[in-house]
Amino acid sequence: MKNFRIFLFSVLFLFPLAIFAQQTVKGKVTEATSSDGLPGVDILIKGTTRGASTDFDGNYVLENVKTGDILVVSYLGFKTQEITVNSTTINIMLVEDTESLDEVIVIGYGTTTIKDATGAVSAITEDDFNQGNIVSPASLITGRVAGVNVTTDGTPGGGSAIRIRGGASLGASNDPLIVIDGLPISNSTAGGSRSILASLNPNDIESFSVLKDASSTAIYGSRASNGVIIITTKKGKQSFQAEYNVKVGYQTLANKIDVFSADEFRDIITSRIDGGQTGISVDQLGTANTDWQDEIYQENITIDQNVSVNGMLYNKVPTRLSIGHTKQPGLRKTSKFERVSSSLAMNPKFFDDHLKVNLNANLNFEYNRFADGVEGAALTMDPTQPIYDSSSPFGGFFEYWYTDSAGYAQTMNAPRNPVASLLQRENKSNVKRFYGNVELDYKFHFLPELRAVVNLGYDEIDGGGYNKLDVNSANGQQPEGTDFLGDYSEYTSYKKNSLVDAYLVYNKELENINVEVTGGYSYQKFEAEDYTTNSLIDPDDAEADYTTYADVVLIGFFGRTNLSFFDKYLLTLSYRRDGTSRFSKDNRWGNFPAAAFAWQIGDEDFLKDSETISKLKLRLGWGVTGQQDIDAAYAYLGRYVTGTSVSQYIFGNSTYPIANPQSIFEDIKWEETTTYNVGLDYGLFDNRIYGSLEFYLKESKDLLSEVSVADGSNFSNVGWQNIGNFTSKGIEFAIGSDIIKKEDLNVNVNYNVTFNQTEIDELAAGQDIDTGGIDGGTGSSVQVHREGFAPYSFLVYKQLYTTAGDPIEGAYVDLNQDGVINTDDRYIYKKPTADITMGFQTNVNYKAFDLAFNLRASIGNYMYNNVNSSRAQYNLLQATEALGNMPTSVLESNFNETSEVLLSDYYVENASFLKMDNVTLGYTFKQANEDSAKIRVWTGVQNVFTITNYSGLDPEVFGGIDNTIYPRPRTFLLGANFNF
Amino acid sequence: MKTINLYKLFLILGVIVFTVSCTDDLDVIPQDDDEFLSEEFYAQPTAYKQALAGIYGNLSLTGTDGSGSSNLEGIDAGTSQYARTLWYLQDLAADEPIWSYENDEGGAVKAIQRNTWSSTNSILLGFFSRAMFSVALTNEYLRQTTPEMLEARGHTAAVGGDIDAYRAEARLLRAMAYYHLMDLFGKAAFVTENDPVGTYQGPEYNREQLFSYIESELIAIESDLVDARSNEYGRADKAVAWMILAKMYLNAEVYINQDKNTECITYCNKILSSGYSLASDYELNFLADNDSNEAAQNEIIFGLVNDGVVTQNYGATTVIINGEVGSLESNAADLGAEGWGGALRVRKQFAQRFLNGDVPTTDQRNTLLTEGREIEITDVADRDSGYIITKFKNVTSTGSAGSDPTFVDTDFPMFRLADVNLMYAEAVVRGGSGGTIAEAVDYINDLRDRANSTQISEGNLTLDFIIDERSRELYWEGHRRQDLVRFGLFSGGNYNWVWKGGSANGIAIGSHMDIYPIPANNMTANPNLTQNPGY
Repeated sequence: MKNFRIFLFSVLFLFPLAIFAQQTVKGKVTEATSSDGLPGVDILIKGTTRGASTDFDGNYVLENVKTGDILVVSYLGFKTQEITVNSTTINIMLVEDTESLDEVIVIGYGTTTIKDATGAVSAITEDDFNQGNIVSPASLITGRVAGVNVTTDGTPGGGSAIRIRGGASLGASNDPLIVIDGLPISNSTAGGSRSILASLNPNDIESFSVLKDASSTAIYGSRASNGVIIITTKKGKQSFQAEYNVKVGYQTLANKIDVFSADEFRDIITSRIDGGQTGISVDQLGTANTDWQDEIYQENITIDQNVSVNGMLYNKVPTRLSIGHTKQPGLRKTSKFERVSSSLAMNPKFFDDHLKVNLNANLNFEYNRFADGVEGAALTMDPTQPIYDSSSPFGGFFEYWYTDSAGYAQTMNAPRNPVASLLQRENKSNVKRFYGNVELDYKFHFLPELRAVVNLGYDEIDGGGYNKLDVNSANGQQPEGTDFLGDYSEYTSYKKNSLVDAYLVYNKELENINVEVTGGYSYQKFEAEDYTTNSLIDPDDAEADYTTYADVVLIGFFGRTNLSFFDKYLLTLSYRRDGTSRFSKDNRWGNFPAAAFAWQIGDEDFLKDSETISKLKLRLGWGVTGQQDIDAAYAYLGRYVTGTSVSQYIFGNSTYPIANPQSIFEDIKWEETTTYNVGLDYGLFDNRIYGSLEFYLKESKDLLSEVSVADGSNFSNVGWQNIGNFTSKGIEFAIGSDIIKKEDLNVNVNYNVTFNQTEIDELAAGQDIDTGGIDGGTGSSVQVHREGFAPYSFLVYKQLYTTAGDPIEGAYVDLNQDGVINTDDRYIYKKPTADITMGFQTNVNYKAFDLAFNLRASIGNYMYNNVNSSRAQYNLLQATEALGNMPTSVLESNFNETSEVLLSDYYVENASFLKMDNVTLGYTFKQANEDSAKIRVWTGVQNVFTITNYSGLDPEVFGGIDNTIYPRPRTFLLGANFNF
Repeated sequence: MKTINLYKLFLILGVIVFTVSCTDDLDVIPQDDDEFLSEEFYAQPTAYKQALAGIYGNLSLTGTDGSGSSNLEGIDAGTSQYARTLWYLQDLAADEPIWSYENDEGGAVKAIQRNTWSSTNSILLGFFSRAMFSVALTNEYLRQTTPEMLEARGHTAAVGGDIDAYRAEARLLRAMAYYHLMDLFGKAAFVTENDPVGTYQGPEYNREQLFSYIESELIAIESDLVDARSNEYGRADKAVAWMILAKMYLNAEVYINQDKNTECITYCNKILSSGYSLASDYELNFLADNDSNEAAQNEIIFGLVNDGVVTQNYGATTVIINGEVGSLESNAADLGAEGWGGALRVRKQFAQRFLNGDVPTTDQRNTLLTEGREIEITDVADRDSGYIITKFKNVTSTGSAGSDPTFVDTDFPMFRLADVNLMYAEAVVRGGSGGTIAEAVDYINDLRDRANSTQISEGNLTLDFIIDERSRELYWEGHRRQDLVRFGLFSGGNYNWVWKGGSANGIAIGSHMDIYPIPANNMTANPNLTQNPGY
């Protein structure tokens, strides 16, 4: 495959990129303010399909043009001009369109413009993307869009949890639907891959469209309840353009959890013994001074390079080829993410532009090394013990061990050396992903108003890897009567997703009325299979096994009408009928209608000439969307599952894999979310200030929940039923301004704020659903879904304090006043989701310098500090056969016994924060001449600072339970962009 | 040009028509090699024994995909195991063991062992749902294995000879599940093979109704069950049905306010005359090879199968043996398990039963380790305090370790002959007819001789003696709470053991605690169930 990439690359470079034909009219298109030539400007002879594009310098040639023809000159971000032909040389100056009202927004099965949009849709194009150390595509829009929360974890190439308007489900997935070039992708990660978007190179992305309300998402019907994110990749352009981007980063550890240092630890042991604590002894102390957290992390250099070439292939085919390489060692020792991506886009037109073909093909590779989460061991490992011990049989690493009577080394019940755990494991994967689509867009010759579009999409992920543990590792397998044997297993993971969309679009402009009707069909199938050898070293482990997942098939019929009256009143009606393989024949079809109305108030006579208000649009939207993304693939069918090799029963001397019938739920169906949205888009002072205001209300009903079922009647005590209602409502406000817009100085600021509130209205039989498992006790959980409260609210005991304000260990308020403190005395205290989230971005351009930074705030989100709750108690100084270190927060609580305090509200902390994710400063060199490369160099910092009262490592932990995380590195960056 | 256009048009229309016809693709079927549609599964003649293994398996396994998988939710997989939850509710709730990690299962373990449980305790949910899962499995099995269905599938010849015994065993396991529910909760939802699958809510059966149902069901299947000691190891025979009947009759005063000691003696006699004998060594009942050694052949009436390789689970014996490994003793190798750093210890009152002079300390049933330890447990989390025991081991009778250091090979002896000896004696002392005091004394002395203990005389055979002797013989085997309730010693203040009622020295608890509350989740899921008084 590597050869194939080289071949394609050569093809682009070696073939002539443009051959000019006979000319009749020629000229140059320039930007009005700078007089720079504009490449890639489309020039069309009005009323025909003939036209041309400008080359890199802005020059164009157009043949067979008659005097009196009208040239339509259009370029994204500039005002379209119409020029009557009256000479053979026509130079054109384009003026930037500050309103960008005609900016195209990609929506489901089509496009619209900002001006014509009727739903709550946010488009973020390349210019607006976050900068800095962006490895995962979702990071491009973190904090950019009101109502969209992106929580990216700290692992190299790690995934992001994306929530649009707080999600709409309890038991089913809350992930938004992600559509790449028309292909909805599965939101489950293939084995060996970091995340669903990890293989996608952010450099290949042209724009994100975030569809937030049902009037825009309902066209995706059954999968749209949690919003839709449409990712559009870059297309081939007609003019030649080459780009090379490089950035180099240096990753550092931003923060550590405070545990006792070696000397502090010696002191605390001594003083606790003096204070009467038994079971610990100074004899157990070592002589070393080890900061185990420092030892498990590494500072490292990351590098990201990308080269792309654009141009006409064979003078016919606008083509873009991009190759990217990212190498990111993780902060945790041994972890690594490496991506090689290749992306090819070809966008030719045939038959006088009647047939447009868009081809996107991506072949990407991920090479990962995963490092176990050893943070827990690093926090508890005795800091007075060394990393290395020459007498150790465990590869020279210090471990707690003894020699048994048979002469074999045995590990003790104690923490394992976290450095050894990292260095002695080799957990590597390779993932190959091919995805892409071919879109055929045919405009009928006999009826040009009618287009037929067929989009074929394909996504195939082939992952696999191995997990090897050194024979000297104390974590290895040790069958009875042997030395440690290390461990080894292999796995593969395969996913395939294929799509056929076919639809017709009829577009007719009548006097004062514009009609667009879309109707079509969509078929999508997801297939998956995993394989694991299980441990090949442990003779007692389960045998190798393939797991073939049930296919998931989704079929939809959809239609949409856009009506525009006088360019002022816009009406959109859409409808989708969706079928899913997850439900029985009687329940599998669902109907998802939506309607939206928009009124360009700003274009009405009474506002048309206003100096203050340059734009005002009111949008009203309503729609019904669905959700069916649950892990049960066919709960309506009677099935049996047989046991694996370790789940057998023995009769006499024979083993029998057990067979269990599976729960049957014939009646489950779609959950439905009805969304109401009122939006106001505004522009003030000739759009120097612009933004939008949205009010939304989402009501989910028939929630797919795993609820208790009457025992004995089915084959589990819980099962899927459509029970429960859920409301989320909120306000989103965005404002942006080009505060200063001068020749040498441009300052642009953007701010958005979201108020969101979610509440569970109804659960099955009013019954709580426990969730949020924690460390510190097998099977313990700290969160609950309860009627009248936000999902995932914390369910804890109410701590009692002394008059001096110190918590009293194990003393709680007897809330139900029955004289006994038991689980019934737990109460709801706070929730993990924020009440208010904010984003703020600034871009400053001064002469050749550019400066950008963004801030993000989250207010009212609480965190259960499981790091402290399960570790910071004095009795854990001797939790095992070794001494144990712990967070120094124990000095404040003075708690002794974990079980007494684990579920105290003492550990629920306010985790509101203000973060600066990124700051970059760039300098663009003056071009020596027009043919020389445009060069920009920049430097920046990723994860600049965090302001919070939260006592843990990082207040941003998705889900609200902090039990050690992969820390987000602070990265110092240097980069350069070259444009040819 | 025109023709090309039409060609294109037809191509596009063709694609559309083709894809529309694909709506049948919405009917997906299982593709994994371990998953089958029901009919597809029963198309194989081997399915009948595999599904039977599924019902038996529910006594040891928690799911089909290893020790971490579970058919149930709302409770940790391992903690929902049949024998383990039964053991928690019968033994941990009483005066024998104590669990060190009290916050496990969200504090549910703590509430059980300190007698402060409420209806939201997940261990209650675990046992209730696990036992009812046995009921559901049996019902499904009986629906799928009728003679008509065998005939229709053409399996009559292949399976017909065995199917009556299979079906009788399935019904036996269902009756046993109801017996446990009757004992622990006093009531249960009654669901049979004649009720629909899905969300059917069975009616509540109280103790009287359950008692008569279980009694009639066990008597009805007796003839179809394989003769005592004649079935494959692991499968139940007539003696298991007799055992359940004997235990129900012994406890009939508690269950239905009737004296059925005579009936108890009748069924004890049936077992005692079926050829069972005590193993030569007490310890053999609790070793890794207790599925094949002398105890397996002669003494164990019904063992729940465990195997470190093929039947991996975090069930009763895995938890007991790993739990026995002490925090100070480094005795993992002696027990054949890696151990969990001192998870289990014993309460003072239990230890004293071996140390107070009633039996010589050399009594082989005394497996206490006391060196370097205090008998008192003033802080439950202090794993160095209190004595520990080594009754169950993952080591064979020839001294080799079990096949896996985590998952033990040791079967859980649900019923064994020693219990019959003791039941016989107790029923006689309680005035049942059909037995004699002299024989009762002999049966007790058989146990004591085997243990190298002292013999008793007729004068010693009192109820007070029997309740203590039952503890010495049967401790940690899942009987204790039932025994104490029968003797009126569980609730109230007649007998307070350490940490009873949550107090270090023990305090009285309400009489309503003789039965557990119906778990809240199970009750909301089936509104026919009503809460027990006092909860």
